[in-house]
Amino acid sequence: MSHLNQASASEVCVRSPEKSISWLQNFGMWLANNKLLLVLIACSLLMLAPFLWTVGLSLKSNQELMLGASAVFHFPYTLNNYADIFQNSQVFRWLANSLIVSIGMTFWVLILSSLAGYAFARLEFPFKKIIFVIILMGLAVPEQAVIMARHQIFSALEMHNSYVGLILPGLSAPFGVFLMTQFFKAIPPELDEAATLDNANKFQIFWYVLLPLTLPAQATLGILTFLTSWNDYFWPLISATEQEMYTLTIGIASSQQNFAQSEGLGFLASQAIFSALPIILVYIFFQKHIVTAVAGGGVK
Amino acid sequence: MSGVLLKNITKKYDNLQVIHGVDLEIKQGEFCVFVGPSGCGKSTLLRMIAGLEETTSGSMYIGEREVTTTAPAERGISMVFQTYALYPHMSVEQNMGFGLKMNKVGKAEIKRKVSEASKILKLDDYLQRKPKALSGGQRQRVAIGRAIVRGPEVFLFDEPLSNLDAELRVEMRVEISRLHHEIGATMIYVTHDQVEAMTLADKIVVLREGRIEQVGAPLELYNNPDNKFVAGFIGSPGMNFLAGYVENGAVCIPALNDKVIVPVVDLPAGTSKVLLGIRPQDLQIHPNTGSLKVDVTEELGGLSYIYLKTPTGERIVAEHRDKNRMTHGTNVQVSFDNNKVMLFDDETQQRIR
Repeated sequence: MSHLNQASASEVCVRSPEKSISWLQNFGMWLANNKLLLVLIACSLLMLAPFLWTVGLSLKSNQELMLGASAVFHFPYTLNNYADIFQNSQVFRWLANSLIVSIGMTFWVLILSSLAGYAFARLEFPFKKIIFVIILMGLAVPEQAVIMARHQIFSALEMHNSYVGLILPGLSAPFGVFLMTQFFKAIPPELDEAATLDNANKFQIFWYVLLPLTLPAQATLGILTFLTSWNDYFWPLISATEQEMYTLTIGIASSQQNFAQSEGLGFLASQAIFSALPIILVYIFFQKHIVTAVAGGGVK
Repeated sequence: MSGVLLKNITKKYDNLQVIHGVDLEIKQGEFCVFVGPSGCGKSTLLRMIAGLEETTSGSMYIGEREVTTTAPAERGISMVFQTYALYPHMSVEQNMGFGLKMNKVGKAEIKRKVSEASKILKLDDYLQRKPKALSGGQRQRVAIGRAIVRGPEVFLFDEPLSNLDAELRVEMRVEISRLHHEIGATMIYVTHDQVEAMTLADKIVVLREGRIEQVGAPLELYNNPDNKFVAGFIGSPGMNFLAGYVENGAVCIPALNDKVIVPVVDLPAGTSKVLLGIRPQDLQIHPNTGSLKVDVTEELGGLSYIYLKTPTGERIVAEHRDKNRMTHGTNVQVSFDNNKVMLFDDETQQRIR
């Protein structure tokens, strides 16, 4: 009996280091196999940190933040800053303006770019190549270079402080025309020929046959245009000078101009988060298409 | 149903002429196959008949109507493309009915016609599927169905079986042949595969570099080619050609140890060099004698093709039905019936008859 006890005791002594070694070995192997994953997780946290920090700030009262930024790391948290946003009636107006401008711009950019793309890819007309090159050159012209002239034109036409004024400049979309042209070019011309034999005219070929096939490109262009328009700051700053025509970016910036008179860091952070929410929602719903857009059709 | 008549048709791309004065009559209900090597202009000619390519000069008739400059949709033709050209976002039913929809035919009528065509092509179970959910053969059947539904006077097929694997190709070939018998429409079919041409055609048009080399029934072209090109193109494997010279009214063949052949046709005066043409099926092989060497043997089960090298470096293919296998390097001799030999002028490449 005593022999048995001794044996079992020694077994226990021997087994436990074995177990811990194998656990460590497994962890070590996992680390070795997932080095890249760990790096990516670290990078993601680094990228996410400012956003999380802002979220933290937005959930703290101004009094606490005045005592030190470390308040972010402990209770109590509050939604008062968000409640304050809703008490400012202008914010919803700015949100509506941003939505109208972004959706309007996206809608028209898609229509115009698709029609132009079809024309450049499929129709024959004089000076086609030169016109296409001129449009592409638009990609190389920075907005800042033309802003004065554009301001003067819109001012002369009395289009400032109007939705048309905010949307119109965004409709010159060389990238959209380029993207759609390339996409239409990639569709086999036999489809056009089959449709021609089926007695479809040029517009019917565009509408019934080719346009539905460009949906992935439409999604890409639509999302990119919406994001660009939503985040645009420069042109609305110049064109929308009346408070009721502010877009969200301008509205929020205007309320931050005098920090001493604002309701504090927490309130500013809550405004920033609030303005980002629609875009975050768009991203979540269209994540797949955004990745495709950024990946740029390399695997198409 | 109507026939097709081409009168002195030409096609030019800027300064490059690709079709040179083609004259051709395709009778009503005929199955006509355009055949020729890549770049010979067969697809271009078909697309000109379809109206997808402009005709530079000449005139073209479908039935009694001149259609040289008529819009494609008004020519009364339907075309089946090599790549199927099905509309990927539409179901089989919508694909087949699209042409009728564009012609403002009523929904009930479209449904009836699509249903008729799908019955002929056994597509009933797939009507609601999108093309991507179909196999290659089914897709091609849909493409043919789309052509049938429009009830054209002439069907045009542009290498419709090229994208299919060998087994499906045979299956679809039979199906197209059956369809022709069933519908009885005029069909023009482009292929570079001479087996397809031989098996499907009532009439074969052999094209080379934008010119018609010869027109005729498949066996007529096989048995009675006008020139070396047609003789070499029709038949598989192709006809063997050996250089020969004329001496005292007989033809001497250096590749076969100066074998002398007394031709069954009269050689034109002044002919000094000729090409002797003999089909692989007409050659008999005698192993272990002679100066020809076996290079490669292709065993096909019931028969084999023996590729031989002559002392002059020329190559010969012979069909061999003997069970004895020929190995690489074996010395052999060939014999043939003089009546099976065709002679071609070495310079003009025209047949000497």
